[in-house]
Amino acid sequence: MNTKKEIVSLRNVIKNYGHGKVITKALQGIELNILEGDFSVMMGPSGSGKSTLLNIIGGLDKATSGEVNFNGKDFNTLSNKALSIIRRNHIGFVFQNYNLLPVLTAYENAEYVLMLQEIPISQRKEKVMHFFQEMGLEGLEHRFPRELSGGQQQRVAIARAVVSDPLLVLADEITANVDSETAQSLLELMETLNKNNKTTFLFSTHDPAVIKFAKKVIVLKDGKITNEQISSENIEKYTKR
Amino acid sequence: MKIIKLSWRNLWRNPTRTNVTISAVALCIAALIVFQSMIVGLIEKAKFTTTDLIIGEVQVHAKGYLDDRSIYKSLQNIKEIHSVAKENNIGLVERSYGFGLISSGTKSAGTQFWGINPESELQHFDFANHIDKGNFLTNTSLNKIVLGRKLASSIAADIGTELVVFVQGADGSLGNELFYVAGILKNMADNIDRGAAMILREDFDILFSTNNLIHEIALNSKGRLESEEIQKLVSAKTTGLDVKTWQQLMPTIALMTEKMIVFMRTLFSLIFGIAASLGLMNTMIMSTYDRMREFGIIRAIGTTPWRILKQVSLESLLLTIIASVIGVVVGLSGALYFQKFGFDVTGAGNMSFGGVVMDPIWKASVSAGIVFLPVVLLMLVCILSSIYPASIAARIKPVEAIHYKP
Repeated sequence: MNTKKEIVSLRNVIKNYGHGKVITKALQGIELNILEGDFSVMMGPSGSGKSTLLNIIGGLDKATSGEVNFNGKDFNTLSNKALSIIRRNHIGFVFQNYNLLPVLTAYENAEYVLMLQEIPISQRKEKVMHFFQEMGLEGLEHRFPRELSGGQQQRVAIARAVVSDPLLVLADEITANVDSETAQSLLELMETLNKNNKTTFLFSTHDPAVIKFAKKVIVLKDGKITNEQISSENIEKYTKR
Repeated sequence: MKIIKLSWRNLWRNPTRTNVTISAVALCIAALIVFQSMIVGLIEKAKFTTTDLIIGEVQVHAKGYLDDRSIYKSLQNIKEIHSVAKENNIGLVERSYGFGLISSGTKSAGTQFWGINPESELQHFDFANHIDKGNFLTNTSLNKIVLGRKLASSIAADIGTELVVFVQGADGSLGNELFYVAGILKNMADNIDRGAAMILREDFDILFSTNNLIHEIALNSKGRLESEEIQKLVSAKTTGLDVKTWQQLMPTIALMTEKMIVFMRTLFSLIFGIAASLGLMNTMIMSTYDRMREFGIIRAIGTTPWRILKQVSLESLLLTIIASVIGVVVGLSGALYFQKFGFDVTGAGNMSFGGVVMDPIWKASVSAGIVFLPVVLLMLVCILSSIYPASIAARIKPVEAIHYKP
């Protein structure tokens, strides 16, 4: 019997783009559960709906129909403000292009979400420095993103995503812009966070290296989750960009 | 890290654009301060000139005198007016008026004779200093006359010209005398330019067979007291007299000066306000679209639209505060310079407009209101103009903004 808490539950989620005759069916009846502590990887060829699904789970986009439950809350019934607050308090995002704010230092970027949560400065400092230490970012606190390497920027982005102890971290192609060595260390880092802090991760990726770390692989094809198993024979199909 | 720190850093991510916008807004504030102080200076000077030149702040006449200007409608019992003037340190002059004919050779013209006391006119009014040729009268200038400029020209009179004067005396007799031109006035009001001939009150009494008739008392505190205040003081002590303020005597000029200030200040405020707000709005819109992706990111990680609205508006406010400081320093320096040295408009000739003689040196008038109004106005306008770009940033959909490519 699985006693893990269900964080995300999708029921018959459909997402269509466009109007009238020109409709793109991005997601077609997705059924998915993400449990606490999962380290899941979504794979699929370009256009399979990975990013759309990630956006819907993250409350950045709304499903055309179907049920999207996050920690017991139905996203379809929430206002933009309520979604903002859920994202702020319970969801961490790591993007492909790091997407750090260029006018903030590494420390300030990581601190930003805590500031939105109105956590006192002393606690903010403690939390940020804890993760900076854990991620090997010590000494880089006062550097601006332009003064950091790609790998360092992505570490700061991960720190920003996990510093507020979210229920779920969504990571979109986070290894796409870093070399394989850096990718490996980033994944190891996230795996450690998953193990130590029980942080739940959901990756969307084309990178076969990510699969090695996955506890669960979700394969998307033409907007649907397939039962196809990833193997060395077919992996190229899913890692082709 | 506070929102203000973030806004400040965002402001300087494109220093060239920010500096240009700050300069534009500062220039608008500086120009508004200088222009407003110049306008207020001009109008206040015009107001002062109106009263100080000849009219005074308050005039007292016998009832009905202003309607038919009869020589018989003279002021009686004027002791009380003198005591009010003395008690309140208000300048006072007495004038007598009569009509007649003046001729030089074959040329003649209808004239209003002013019987004046040169010493008190010089002491309390300014028109005696507006002499174009010759000299003004002194208390010993018997049989000397000072003419309005156009009157002198119409009868071809110059300094020293002998003039023959014909009038009907108060007793019905025909009065005639010889006068010599002592001075010719500069352009003032049209009625003075075309028809005023000024003589000593002693000469007036001889010419018109009167005995110290006074038709007008003009009171001038030189701006120390409000005209309405002087009117109240005099009215309280006298009965049966027409006590009128300069605004009542010259309603057109009073209205013009009052409305002109409001109109000109509003006009300049609108022009510079619109210019500054458009410049700022343009900058903020460009800055918003440049950062669309970032707004998407901060929306994604939980920033509310309201916070984004505040952040963008704060950037605009910070920019306006910097511009205001620069604008006030530059504008105030300019205005103070023009207040001290003025702007020489002598080249435009001796200007008079609607009975108001304009000072050839156009000076600014600086007050706290003149400095603060443009600052407050521009701040308000700039904050309002930031609402549109701020609302663009606040309303973006994070999922679209994250993938936005400028």
